[in-house]
Amino acid sequence: MKRRSIVKYAAVAAVLSLGLTACGGSGGGETKASGTVRVTLANHVWTEGIKASIPEFEKATGLKVELTQLGEDQLSDQYNVKLNAGTDEIDVMMYRPLQEGKAFAKNGYLADLTSKVSQDAGWDWKDYQDGPVKASTVDGKVVGVPIITEREVLYYRKDLLKAAGLAVPKTMNELQAAAKTIAATSPDTAGFVARTNKSAAVTQFSSFLYSFGGDFVDGSGKSAVGSDAAKKAYAFYGGLIKNFGPKNVSTDMSWPEAMAVFTQGKAAFYTEADSLYKNATDPAKSKVADNVGFAALPAGPAGSKPYNIASWGLAVNKASSNQDNAWKFIQWATSKERTLAAQKAGVPGARSSVWADPAGTSTYPKDLAEAIASSAKAGVGHDRPEVITVGKAREIVGTPIVSTITGADASAAADKASSDFQKFLDSEKK
Amino acid sequence: MTVLNKARISTGAPAVPARRRKPISARAYKVFRVVALVVVVLFLIAPLFWMLLASFKTNVDIYDAGKSFLFSPTVENYANVLQRNNYFVFITNSFSVAFVSTALSLVLGVPAAYAMSRFTMHRSALVVLMARVIPGVSLLVPWYYVFSNLKMVGGFEALILSHMFVALPLIVYIMMSYFDSLPLELEESAQVDGLTPIGAFRRITLPLSVAGMATAGILSFIFSWNNFMFALVLSGSKTKTLPVAIFDFVSYASIDWGGLMAAATVVTIPIMIIALFTQKYIVSGMTAGATKG
Repeated sequence: MKRRSIVKYAAVAAVLSLGLTACGGSGGGETKASGTVRVTLANHVWTEGIKASIPEFEKATGLKVELTQLGEDQLSDQYNVKLNAGTDEIDVMMYRPLQEGKAFAKNGYLADLTSKVSQDAGWDWKDYQDGPVKASTVDGKVVGVPIITEREVLYYRKDLLKAAGLAVPKTMNELQAAAKTIAATSPDTAGFVARTNKSAAVTQFSSFLYSFGGDFVDGSGKSAVGSDAAKKAYAFYGGLIKNFGPKNVSTDMSWPEAMAVFTQGKAAFYTEADSLYKNATDPAKSKVADNVGFAALPAGPAGSKPYNIASWGLAVNKASSNQDNAWKFIQWATSKERTLAAQKAGVPGARSSVWADPAGTSTYPKDLAEAIASSAKAGVGHDRPEVITVGKAREIVGTPIVSTITGADASAAADKASSDFQKFLDSEKK
Repeated sequence: MTVLNKARISTGAPAVPARRRKPISARAYKVFRVVALVVVVLFLIAPLFWMLLASFKTNVDIYDAGKSFLFSPTVENYANVLQRNNYFVFITNSFSVAFVSTALSLVLGVPAAYAMSRFTMHRSALVVLMARVIPGVSLLVPWYYVFSNLKMVGGFEALILSHMFVALPLIVYIMMSYFDSLPLELEESAQVDGLTPIGAFRRITLPLSVAGMATAGILSFIFSWNNFMFALVLSGSKTKTLPVAIFDFVSYASIDWGGLMAAATVVTIPIMIIALFTQKYIVSGMTAGATKG
């Protein structure tokens, strides 16, 4: 009797574990077939468009697409684990060229696409803008195809400017004066708002830095954040927020928080990436949707030099055994037709021909399309230090932004950041 | 330094007269207790309450300080979560992973804990505890490597195994201290009456341990339900669990706060209900072994 009951338990346990293996068995196995392209994409409007048209691609090529979709940071975490383990379960990967491109390329995660991009004249690699192309090229090798681009533009409130009798600022000095006027005349509204978190603000500060004649790194590869131009840029950006920004401003604002200040009608000017414009013009998200105007970044002493970068690109996993089909997917997803369709849905692309096509800007506010066109011409191809450990570099060069907002001396903060940044650059060279 | 001194004074000063003072009257104590409870509860509930309110707001209203409490509620966010994003699939996934991993861990863990408790296997217990001490992150890359070579990534087995890795030590430890507290004499007298040691375990000790197993099971269920890290790497599109799915509301150039909050509410409510009904066991699990030498 007793012994039988033990046997009974053992049998139950065995059946349980067997049942488990049987019912969950859909994990891998059949995906090994090369007819399946495994694509990993970030949550993005671009991805929604692609997802809806994947059946077209499957029909045209006879390939099957297996799509994984994740949030930006989750995607990044997943790449770090999976690519590090040498996975061949990802074929096409959506990645951030400026944030992780260099690290991924140095680690050998990204396949060299140089010969592939130049093969197909109809697909036309030359059509791509210079800034984004530079961002997806590492050590002379093309490792990705840019799909989404961004430039910094000036968001402003038409109604407030009109009420105050102000013209749209064309220079940094005019911007400062206009912000001052509005902050002085309407106590509830800030003159200016922008990102304040030390890491998040770096990209939006970069255009100010370039427009004042500076950069993060100089021609010889040395830190340039302690230069006179950089010090002026830090003082200007931090000063705008300190003097004319929201009262008791948090120094931890990334775009969602800064955008909320603007869309709740609490600020007159806001400098931000153009790719976020729908947050400001969509009445479901913005209280001031009808009164938002756009302009190119005001000119500093060195002119108006906003960044013009590829925020996202598509790459092929070097360990993938399905690289040719992966490339087919990228070629289709980045074709002129697909780029145009995405751009119409509000995703700025990297193809000159699509921007030149009136249909390419037909869905954009007219002033935004003009601001984008002028920004693309003068644009700088990076919006953050071009290093391997971008996250750490951003913390270092972003510290003076926070210091100046909280009232510290920009010059001393920049000197300190510059020496830290130089040490960081030296350590990366080793 | 001045801050330190101040702190010392402020904590030291009331302590001295307090000792001399007569016992506070029962009434004052009651008032104090109510006030303290309200403060603590408000502090703990506030974020949850904000989440619940936000889940009924539109995205414009969420940022509007003027509409913190007075707003026209919408169920659009829940429709979005439950219909368009099909959260029932993720709820089922989360539930089955949590349930199966907990059940299997109990099947393996309870007898193991019994053996370790009765035969004082301290070293084995230490090895089991190691699994609990190692940070999960450091295991992710090797796990991913192993599971992907076994073609198990994206399936339920890999998820269940990874959750068992954490649940098992938890269960073994709670049950060990539980078995330690049961008098050995009960089993001895059962054996005198003719049961084998295993029979005594099954007929005497196990029925007495139901409360302990409930505690251990609930805690391991809650862990599994909340686990994000393992699921992020080891789950696939078909086996995505709730904590991972929540992030679908955050995308690069737009964040759907309303949807996010509705999804967070959907994740929180089942586990809160479970915790509410079983809190007796949860508390006893947290203090397990606390009063024993």
